[in-house]
Amino acid sequence: MEATIKVKNLNKKYEGFELKNISFEIPEGSIVGLIGENGAGKTTTIKSILNIIKSDGEIQVFGKDIKQNEKEIKSKLGVVLDDSFLSEYLTPKKINSIMKNFYNTWDKELFENYIKLFKLPENKMIKDFSSGMKMKLKIATAISHKPQILILDEPTSGLDPVVRNEILDIFRQFIAEDEKRSILISTHITTDLEHISDYIMFIKNGEITLNLPTSEILENYGIVKCDEKDFSKISKEDYEYYKKEKYQYEVLVSNKNTIKNKYGISTIDKASIEDIMLFYIKGEK
Amino acid sequence: MKEICGLIKKDLLNLSSYKISLLVMLVCVFAIGSAGEEMWRYIPIVMTTMLGMIALSTFSYDELAKSDEYVLSLPVNKKEIVLEKYILVISMALIGGIIGFIITPIFTNILNNIRTENIINIDYNSLIFTTMGGIFGISLILAIQIPSIYKWGAEKGRIQMFILFFIIILLALGIAYLAPNLGININEEAINSFFQRFGILIVVCLLIIMYYISYRISNNSFRNKKN
Repeated sequence: MEATIKVKNLNKKYEGFELKNISFEIPEGSIVGLIGENGAGKTTTIKSILNIIKSDGEIQVFGKDIKQNEKEIKSKLGVVLDDSFLSEYLTPKKINSIMKNFYNTWDKELFENYIKLFKLPENKMIKDFSSGMKMKLKIATAISHKPQILILDEPTSGLDPVVRNEILDIFRQFIAEDEKRSILISTHITTDLEHISDYIMFIKNGEITLNLPTSEILENYGIVKCDEKDFSKISKEDYEYYKKEKYQYEVLVSNKNTIKNKYGISTIDKASIEDIMLFYIKGEK
Repeated sequence: MKEICGLIKKDLLNLSSYKISLLVMLVCVFAIGSAGEEMWRYIPIVMTTMLGMIALSTFSYDELAKSDEYVLSLPVNKKEIVLEKYILVISMALIGGIIGFIITPIFTNILNNIRTENIINIDYNSLIFTTMGGIFGISLILAIQIPSIYKWGAEKGRIQMFILFFIIILLALGIAYLAPNLGININEEAINSFFQRFGILIVVCLLIIMYYISYRISNNSFRNKKN
């Protein structure tokens, strides 16, 4: 599988924060989830890929350097930014008429269909929309020119589970329509990713600390719950992180079956992505 | 160019929420015209200033929605974003001047029919001079205002605009007050004659230089802003 986005040694320094040598690839036809706590560097990474902010390192999209081929590349991207969109004094109808000037492939009817599907009022100003409606409008705007890659920064934050599910369905459909399409989605609502992502990248303090296929993570990662005595028997190389709770130790392992056999542990709990994220943030090595 | 048209469309559709303000403005203009014989002179100045300022308010809309970053995710580059603002603001100021120039005779005609005892005679040369002066004045302010908005944002830029107005008025009053006191004889006739001969040429040259510098500064500020 070819990579649609290649990031190599991405560095960006702010006062009190730094992206350190971020490198990853987004394979064609895949959904990649970028997770991490607030301020970990998810948005900075996305804005660097989009060349919205200056950064050091190599960023290639469709095999071309983003800085050299900005307009050509961006015409094939659909973007949702968490904290930025068009003016709230515009209506969906006006947005439809504006966007066709930016994209040759803008599909007016497709946009209208999404607006109907999402039950958004065509002539109402965005300022009068709820958070869910605003997000649906951002997504409709991002996909109505049939982009090859969707880059989504926190597209489900602040939404209720029903709306979130509707939105995730749209992403699934987007990929299903064309197997060459890809999605990079940043979120801290990790349960969403368990359902749709092919790969998970975890970013912590500006560094990527985990980048694996979702199925591999869900299959191999587990949580061992044991007392201090049993914990002391587990070799440091065999676990990722541990947390000392009031009555027991919780230990995150990345190879459930090996640990089971090696230490004769009968029960290892399944680790969700949220569990893993919490271990990576709060756990000790 | 298509992208610049898209950006202009975005701003104009944003400004369509100003419909009521524009109507109020027309009523004000009519009120100015009916206030007295000499007041019609100010209609082109009011129109060009108002439309120029309304165009500037698009910066506030962008700032409010933080739309700069979203716009940068579209297939449009930073230079085009800055250029569009200049095209919009200059065009609006020009259109304001032209509208002012056109509606002045219309309004005075209506007024002459209503108040036949107080007929207003329009001096068209003076009207052209006022319109040009108005456009030049507002263009000067806008050329300073746009880079400062790019540098410091719409809110601080607004404060800076009031300071600018204050300095201009202070300078004009200062010259008018100091010149006679210092024994400098201002030959108004010579100045008028000079401006009548070379005024348009000087204004055009000044505007080109001003806007070239202003655009360069704005471009640099915007390029370095998103770091």
